[in-house]
Amino acid sequence: MNAILMLQDGKIFSGKTTGPIKEAIGEVVLNTAVVGYQEMVTDPANRGKILVLTYPLIGNYGINPKFNESPQWQLSGLVVKETSRTVSNWQARTSLDAFAKKQDALILRKVDTRSLAVHLRHKGEMLGIIAGLSSEPKTLLAKIDAHRKNQTQDLIRLTSTATPSYLGPKRARQKIVILDLGVSASLLAQLQSLGTGIFILPYTATANEITKTRAGGLIISNGPENDVNLEKIAQAVEPLLGTMPILGISTGLHALALAMGAKISKMKLGHRGVNYPVAHPGSFQAEITTQNHSFVVDNDSLDKITHLKIVGYHLNDRTIEEVAHNKLKCMGIQYYPQSPGKGQVHPVLKRFMHQCAIK
Amino acid sequence: MPRRKDIHRILMIGSGPIVIGQACEFDYSGSQACKALKEEGYFTILVNSNPATIMTDPGLADVTYIEPLSIEMAEKIIKKERPDAILPTLGGQTGLNLAYFLMKEGILKKYGVESIGASVDAISRAEDRLLFKKAMQEIGIDVPKSGIARSTEEGMRIGLEIGFPLILRPAYCLGGAGGAIVYNRQELEKFLEKGLSVSPVHQVLVEQSVLGWKEIEFEVIRDNADNVIIITSMENVDPMGIHTGDSMVVAPAQTLTAQEYNEFVDLSRKIIRKVGVTGGGANIQFGQNPDNGKIVIIEVNPRLSRSSALASKATGFPIARVATKLAVGLTLPEVINQITGKTSSFFEPTVDYCVFKICRFAFEKFPQAERVLNTSMKAVGEAMSIGRNFKEALQKGIRSIEISRFGFGCDSKDAFTDQMLKNLSPLLLQQIKDKIRIPNDERIFYLRYAIKAGLSIDEIYSLSQIDRWFLDNMKQLVELEERIKAARASSGDTEPDISAEVLREAKENGFSDRQLAYLLNSKEDVVRQIRKKQNIKAAYKLVDTCAGEIDAEKPYFYSTYETKDESRASNKKKVVILGGGPNRIGQGIEFDYCCCHASYALKEENIESVMVNCNPETVSTDYDTSTRLYFEPLTLEDVLNIIELEKPIGVIVQFGGQTPLNLAVALRKAGVHILGTSAENIDIAEDRERFKRMLQKLNLLQPDNGTAFTFEEAKGVARRIGYPVLVRPSYVLGGRAMEIVYDEATLEKFIAEAAKVSGDHPILIDKFLEDAIEVDVDLIGDGERFVIGGIMEHIEEAGIHSGDSAMSLPTFTLSGDILTKIREAAYRMAKELNVAGLMNVQFAVKDDKAYVLEVNPRASRTVPFVSKAIGVPLAKLATKVMLGKTLDELKFTKEIIPAYFAVKESVFPFNRFPGVDVILGPEMKSTGEVMGIDADFGLAYIKSQIAAGQNLPRKGNVFLSVRDKDKRSVIFIAKKLHELGFHLYATEGTSDALSKNGIPVKILVKIAEGRPNVLDLMKDGKIQLVINTPSGRIPRQDEVKIRSQVILHNIPYVTTISAAQATVNGIEILLKKDLKVKSLQEYHRNAARKTKK
Ligand SMILES: Nc1ncnc2c1ncn2[C@@H]1O[C@H](COP(=O)(O)OP(=O)(O)O)[C@@H](O)[C@H]1O
Ligand SMILES: Nc1ncnc2c1ncn2[C@@H]1O[C@H](COP(=O)(O)OP(=O)(O)O)[C@@H](O)[C@H]1O
Ligand SMILES: [Mg+2]
Ligand SMILES: [Mg+2]
Repeated sequence: MNAILMLQDGKIFSGKTTGPIKEAIGEVVLNTAVVGYQEMVTDPANRGKILVLTYPLIGNYGINPKFNESPQWQLSGLVVKETSRTVSNWQARTSLDAFAKKQDALILRKVDTRSLAVHLRHKGEMLGIIAGLSSEPKTLLAKIDAHRKNQTQDLIRLTSTATPSYLGPKRARQKIVILDLGVSASLLAQLQSLGTGIFILPYTATANEITKTRAGGLIISNGPENDVNLEKIAQAVEPLLGTMPILGISTGLHALALAMGAKISKMKLGHRGVNYPVAHPGSFQAEITTQNHSFVVDNDSLDKITHLKIVGYHLNDRTIEEVAHNKLKCMGIQYYPQSPGKGQVHPVLKRFMHQCAIK
Repeated sequence: MPRRKDIHRILMIGSGPIVIGQACEFDYSGSQACKALKEEGYFTILVNSNPATIMTDPGLADVTYIEPLSIEMAEKIIKKERPDAILPTLGGQTGLNLAYFLMKEGILKKYGVESIGASVDAISRAEDRLLFKKAMQEIGIDVPKSGIARSTEEGMRIGLEIGFPLILRPAYCLGGAGGAIVYNRQELEKFLEKGLSVSPVHQVLVEQSVLGWKEIEFEVIRDNADNVIIITSMENVDPMGIHTGDSMVVAPAQTLTAQEYNEFVDLSRKIIRKVGVTGGGANIQFGQNPDNGKIVIIEVNPRLSRSSALASKATGFPIARVATKLAVGLTLPEVINQITGKTSSFFEPTVDYCVFKICRFAFEKFPQAERVLNTSMKAVGEAMSIGRNFKEALQKGIRSIEISRFGFGCDSKDAFTDQMLKNLSPLLLQQIKDKIRIPNDERIFYLRYAIKAGLSIDEIYSLSQIDRWFLDNMKQLVELEERIKAARASSGDTEPDISAEVLREAKENGFSDRQLAYLLNSKEDVVRQIRKKQNIKAAYKLVDTCAGEIDAEKPYFYSTYETKDESRASNKKKVVILGGGPNRIGQGIEFDYCCCHASYALKEENIESVMVNCNPETVSTDYDTSTRLYFEPLTLEDVLNIIELEKPIGVIVQFGGQTPLNLAVALRKAGVHILGTSAENIDIAEDRERFKRMLQKLNLLQPDNGTAFTFEEAKGVARRIGYPVLVRPSYVLGGRAMEIVYDEATLEKFIAEAAKVSGDHPILIDKFLEDAIEVDVDLIGDGERFVIGGIMEHIEEAGIHSGDSAMSLPTFTLSGDILTKIREAAYRMAKELNVAGLMNVQFAVKDDKAYVLEVNPRASRTVPFVSKAIGVPLAKLATKVMLGKTLDELKFTKEIIPAYFAVKESVFPFNRFPGVDVILGPEMKSTGEVMGIDADFGLAYIKSQIAAGQNLPRKGNVFLSVRDKDKRSVIFIAKKLHELGFHLYATEGTSDALSKNGIPVKILVKIAEGRPNVLDLMKDGKIQLVINTPSGRIPRQDEVKIRSQVILHNIPYVTTISAAQATVNGIEILLKKDLKVKSLQEYHRNAARKTKK
């Protein structure tokens, strides 16, 4: 079916949907990675977004449940140039289109994604709505407007676990808590491969509940950004500062930073892709990271916080990528701690677990 | 880390002549490196034997040596220049090997030269098949089961243990030279011998075959702070078993899951670290089992490579430039990405398009060669295309390689009609299946036939192991083709009524107007009009390294059919330069050299330069050569689109070889202004009849000739002018399908052949001038004044293609009287054709008469050679002339005759085509050229021979066997050899002639008549030089056997008396003096120049 994506600023991009069109509203964001569409559409951090993939040929290698970051299609809409009608990989179980259909999710195809990307680069990320070709622009704009006004982002409620649970061996040498803002399967897999026991607590968990687990450390997981619940979470975390090692990952870093009294600010265009350079002060060594965020810890707001060091920054726009507070045994990373390769664990996670081991 | 301050003078080694497996890409990387080193303030010394390169332009390096790339010469240069470091990673396998042997011989140590970019250890760890295997196993990366053979016996043992089929891969070789797939004992033995003799270190890897696996490549860069980035992944459409250099390739890889991709990245990082590349790039080739994902490593090239050039052009990331900066100590974060202009190079490029590479082959030139592809590279060139999907890229790619196809079939050139394919004969079915099962250069079209014939994707996959994803995309094109046909016009002159939607979809999937015209039973220009009416126009998108995330400052462009056009056509004064497209025999790097100079000249005149080309190997497709670069096919449609967008003051068609020249007339029809010599006059020179009339008018001599369409006509002409005659089609380059014919029977045969190539143009028949001296003249004119750039005397006689024969500047035997005649004739023709720009004339001199063979109203193959020899950038001047400058203003008013000699020698790909006879003729066969330059002709000639890989002996045995008409002239040669202390062997006839003249010589029995015969002696390394002139059109069996042995054992050989004379004189000099090295700059500075008006 012919359909359109209309942006907040009235700009319209036309495309086609496979199934019937149901309208979908969300923040329109770009991702420049060539592979990884399945991980992206199932990443809880992308909850409610309209995701635009700049790589034009999507779905080539199909879908396999084992690559899910969560069992669920998280996007409000996926916008691409072309989806492959065949899948070609020995691991493929089904096709992207079939997966979307089963999850009754929306894919807008045949869009000039390049032009869309360039437009967002100039104008910055904004809300958009996917709708039928015939729909009246005015009414669509109105809908976007309404959405912006009365909807305060309350997504973590949906991406976090409802009830506490425990993963891993009962008598694990090391146990940690994951405060679940929308934790991804790949993160859990890495931690488990270290034999760690993991308490997964809902985002509503109090400092008390966390302490009661007697776990050696706390990881505040990634999840939807700019969420109403972040303040509350920060308040819960605040009393724990210094009592146990804490690692904040991406949105988790935002919660941690808030807890320390820092501010969070929005970038014009987010970092979403697998090719972002993170440099470390005073070192020529840098690393290429996977990122998925539009908000960052505000640089100036850190001045007041003593002993908090910036240990990683984005080589090109100098935004904060990694912070450490040795006194409080806190660290935070803005990027994703992706496994460097088959069965391997990201150094940051190793470092954190090591820190937790030190009594 | 800041750049190294402890080194100051850096020696760079070029890659020498263009050969199969090593083409322009190393000129691109070399010149980028020169610039990068200059930027960092180093003193650069360059050695390369190839004069047709940009990198050897005086001014790019501080000191430029055009000398043979031999250890001996390299040491002399090192001794003279005393560099602190050598950069071996930019000169391809040749440069790498030379550096390696300089190390082994202790020369680097002796002069305290450090190898930067890749340490000698790193080189050995990657190139030495054994060390490499060990290294990989140490980091737990699988390699196919294999063993290293240093002898045939060892190889047999290993091979039989692993089991067939086996892959043989000689060490330190290039383009899979000497490599083979063997299926049985005999083949194993045969190819082991070959491989061992080809490998410079006599080492062959005998490897378990993983034929049919996916072939995946990664381009990786590492700096000395141990930062590693991935430039891009590449997936070979043709699976393992077909050399990457021959495969169709896409970037990025299309069929890998995110996890697989990460695994490859992880392995690549581990590998480049293990190999130990510090401050440079590497190309890593993997094989992957499509059924279970198992990965094996195939090889690592610890240097710039063909693939890295492709990766560079595919992503916009200037690998050579960055690698060079890393080699001198900088780190990735410190080097900025010049495409974006604002980001660091430590940022992995990402793309929002699909890149496709497809190869250009030359089988038509080697009819006796087996038309199959395997692990030994055979492609002579390649083109790269960019689209928003694979289908578009595929179709653009096919029309980029200029095999007069305009996409994935349905362009009126298909071998089989839809009818034949619908009701398929068992015979045809078998043929199609075979063509798919056994890889070959036409396979891509047979895939289409198969799809049309209704074979299932799975069937085709099981025959070809080409991934189903690619096959299905091809199927989609066939389906779309059918839908387009639905709108087919009833008759040629009624306009087809095709819906805007289908038309747009067709263009989005890369269908050319030519294809559409054919499918719609209409005409190209009609289709174009319909499109414009529907407002379906090409939009241009960017290659910007970042998929649009950053506003790039210096991107380049490709066309596609999308909603928004991002082109940046300015309204400044600008000129469009049409490039030469993919390399092929007859049209190579020389023409890219000229196109680049056009850009440089425009810059100097501050006019914008707009380059159009699709050859990823070249300097002309480098991001900073022109103001704007369009990475596009050079067909009328694609070129017009750009011209309509850019609205240039004119277009340069003189420099890209025959490709743009053939567009000239059509472009002018479309109202485009051609700069320089007018399209009208170009046509006079190209059209034989008009040309003939011109010569008559100027009363200049031309070999007696006529034209014919049929055999009957041809017979008539031949009878009139008398045999032997030369038969050829019109409008071709490199003497395509050209033959010397001695009688009527053979004439008939070749008329048929020529007719195929000639199409609707007539066939040309010339009186063949026997034993004439051929002369090449390059000339520049501004419409008023004309100045000769150089007169080159060929060493081989006329009848051997000008592109294949050696030649000398200045001339070495021609009388002043003849030279005057030649000059007169050249100037008269230039004036008549009103040449504004360059012109090339070929003469045949016989009995003190100068016959005009042809005039090329364009830059010729020899322009770079002449420019280097006389120290004047002719192509640059010609460009300025086209822009209205006079030669007076440019201060080039007198022919320069250097006081030294420059000899150009050609290099041939015979070793790639087993079974092909090495004799030369009027059809060009060489892929590249070298230049020897020295005080006198003999020295210059010797250098050219060494540079061309003929390591001429100082002592030993010479085998002579010449045809009767040469028996007298060979005596002098033999005498000389005898005096020089060589022992002579000869076949009966020749030895009679010699002994009659009192020259001691051993007779060798005919091969059939017993042993030891000459073949045995060659095998045992007992023959150091072979002089063998062919006995006629159909050579005797023995000759062919002898000449193929020569190639197999790489024994120096000559096949003409003239070359034999020059060679013997050369050897004499070689024995008397030892060769010296002298830089171009010195020649140009010191050369006391005799000039002539
Ligand atoms: N074990 C193997 N099984 C099947 N094909 C192979 C194997 N090893 C190499 N090949 C094929 O041979 C080609 C050339 O290999 P290689 O020896 O690396 O030549 P080069 O050094 O010129 O790249 C590769 O591109 C690949 O397609
Ligand atoms: N009439 C002739 N007599 C002898 N040799 C000839 C004659 N015409 C052409 N040749 C030889 O054939 C070669 C190719 O012919 P040419 O017209 O130059 O074709 P191309 O356009 O491919 O250069 C020439 O270089 C010359 O050696
Ligand atoms: Mg290789
Ligand atoms: Mg010629």
